[in-house]
Amino acid sequence: MHVVVCVKQVPDTTNVRINPETNTLMREGVESIMNPFDEYALEQALELKDKCGARVSVISMGPPQATAVLRESLARGADDAALVSSRAFGGADTLATSYTISMAIRKVCGGVPDLVLFGKQAIDGDTAQVGPGVSEFLDATLVTYAKSIEVKDGGFEVVSVMDDGEHTVAGKFPAVVTVLKEASVPRFAPLAGTLTAAKAPIAVLDEKALGCDPGQIGLKGSPTKVVTIFPPPVKGGGKKITASGDDAAKAILEMLSEKGILAK
Amino acid sequence: MAIETDVLVVGAGPAGLSAAIALKRGGFKGRVVVLDKGKSPGSHVLSGCIIDPSGFKGVLTDEEVAKLPVEAHANKESFRAILSKNCSMKIPWVPPMMHSKGYPVASLTKVVGAMAKIAVAEGVELCTGYAVVELIEENGRVVGARTGEKGVDKNGARKSNYLPSEEIRAKHVVLAEGGCGILTEKLIKAKGLQGVRPQSYALGVKELVEVPAKEGSGGTVMHTFGYPADMRTYGGGFVYHVSDSQVMVGYAYALDYRKSEVDIHRLFRRFKATKAVQEHIAGGKSVAYGAKVIPEGGFYSVPKPYAPGVLIVGDGAGLLDSLRIKGIHIAMQSGAAAAKAIIEGGEDVGARYFELLKATSGWKEMKRVRNVRAPFSTWMPIGVASAGLAWVTFGKIPPFRMGGLELGDAAETRPCTAAKVEAEAKDDPPASPTSPDRLTDVFMSGTIHDEDQPCHLKIGDRAKCAECMEKFRAPCTRFCPAEVYRLDEGKLEVDFSNCLHCKTCAIKCPMRNIEWTFPQGGDGPRYTRM
Repeated sequence: MHVVVCVKQVPDTTNVRINPETNTLMREGVESIMNPFDEYALEQALELKDKCGARVSVISMGPPQATAVLRESLARGADDAALVSSRAFGGADTLATSYTISMAIRKVCGGVPDLVLFGKQAIDGDTAQVGPGVSEFLDATLVTYAKSIEVKDGGFEVVSVMDDGEHTVAGKFPAVVTVLKEASVPRFAPLAGTLTAAKAPIAVLDEKALGCDPGQIGLKGSPTKVVTIFPPPVKGGGKKITASGDDAAKAILEMLSEKGILAK
Repeated sequence: MAIETDVLVVGAGPAGLSAAIALKRGGFKGRVVVLDKGKSPGSHVLSGCIIDPSGFKGVLTDEEVAKLPVEAHANKESFRAILSKNCSMKIPWVPPMMHSKGYPVASLTKVVGAMAKIAVAEGVELCTGYAVVELIEENGRVVGARTGEKGVDKNGARKSNYLPSEEIRAKHVVLAEGGCGILTEKLIKAKGLQGVRPQSYALGVKELVEVPAKEGSGGTVMHTFGYPADMRTYGGGFVYHVSDSQVMVGYAYALDYRKSEVDIHRLFRRFKATKAVQEHIAGGKSVAYGAKVIPEGGFYSVPKPYAPGVLIVGDGAGLLDSLRIKGIHIAMQSGAAAAKAIIEGGEDVGARYFELLKATSGWKEMKRVRNVRAPFSTWMPIGVASAGLAWVTFGKIPPFRMGGLELGDAAETRPCTAAKVEAEAKDDPPASPTSPDRLTDVFMSGTIHDEDQPCHLKIGDRAKCAECMEKFRAPCTRFCPAEVYRLDEGKLEVDFSNCLHCKTCAIKCPMRNIEWTFPQGGDGPRYTRM
């Protein structure tokens, strides 16, 4: 069994401050970390390795310093890692990124692997689109928001958490699954693993190595156009009604009719 | 299976990284592993921020020094005696040895971050987030160390992500833990390495204040002494402009202070409220905070800095010029000396290291000012006179060791009453952007601990706490710069998650009833600009 985990390096938003004048991120002293949701995906893969001896490959797309998250993955127990990196990939939207990553997965695995795992979303963009996008390019079954993944009868059984409740989804490989925080507690990297991972070779794959269609990568392959960027408007404080019982109900009614939501 | 290395360096501060870099640059062919309990290189590093550049020699190249993240060099320097909130006096003349003109004024956290990159490029294996919690000894020789386990819950049970302790075997262990290093202190005790008198510390607390930019203000530095310290306590402050819009403001207070009612964070706030300091920071906002202990005892408090298989470098060995309160350069020199002794590989590497250390300029400075610190614990003017004497006579007079500091910091604490504690708490400066309260400061230090782990601050005997409450009124609730200790209906509560790893509690608890042990590796402050 071959499991691929896609991880992304993101700024540690617990430490990010916003410049109040320019409304931009103040990056001074902000560290880069592995996207927290990807840690849960990696942990699921490593548990499959512990249980059924799966080979775990890790792929990241990003600048050269993204090797840090790959080394962290190797230190925790992944078998091999590849960095997808090239200037030609710059400016990619989620479509172009999905295409590029799917090409990298094919390259690393010599085809479509049994299982590809993603975190449910990245904390910097919050789109949750690349996992589903990759499943399309790989023509693999997609299950999102998984809280557990089991291998059963040569296929998978995933519990997916949706707004209307939990769905148990069974199916055949190949599959792409996006993983929730509830799935597990990520393991720590042992020192021995960290020391070995620091020296491990990491393949760097560019558009030529992947045989990408130049029209489908980077800015050129990105139909998304960014018109403006603005911070979400600051929410005003709500109105608090402290009365109880009938008085509170009256106050609410009054407010609703004032706003024209209820006819007087 | 144990990890095998040639050299294990415990602590990735200026001393440890200097040792590692100097080893590689000195042609050492073996494996050099450096471990640090902080999350990232520099996370647990804090200093006053004026760096005596003499330490870089033999470790970094001139080109590398020029490229360090330094925005300003000391240009306008002043020394002030602060007499009261509104009154201070410029000291008209100070000995040239105290001047720091031209020295880099920079965040040591950032400088250490840059040094870490250089070390890794040289082939040093640097891993952060791993606490080294125990030395391994065989037949009287230190042969390695053990890392701390991770993933243990607050009751001591193993969690699903439990990571066992790992063993590292090393031909040489270099202890570069910083001031009051836990393994270092244990080793000193076990091997009888103590100096002539016990180490004496000061607690330094510091904030980074962002101020409206003023062109040309970067590099302005002011050192102060006097208010709000009393005449029997070695205390002083500093205001260093690290750039045109950033000021480091700090206050150090000697831990041999007698008045149990004193609250060091409050003293810091009083210091910042003085006219002398407000001139520099008014209209600004504090944005980062940190605290650490400074080993001030000087020459006579330095332990024998080695034992079979292990060398002690930097602050852990008390290597600090106690007149200028500068130790970074001696830390680096000691690291380089340790590296040289290891490379030479003679019969007694430890003795050779000590010999090389004694030949450094830093050691000579320490010797010259060896009689400065102790007299300050009697009466400030006597301290000032001894400092002058040391300078004028190159440390030759007095030829003997001046008394003081023999008891150790904790034993100096005098009993106090509830009324005294109350009176001391009276004139608190009002909260303001440059005078945040203690918990706001703790938040700005970025400190974080997994709260589902055993409390790493072990209270020994609760009965002793009750006794302390009567006699000393729980000074831990006042000296801790991170509000770890608080009283809840008379019972001492320990909020270990606030801890800044400064070790003041282990040093100053008058009952010696607090043991500082290692929390999970990677926990603790996350300094980025200290």
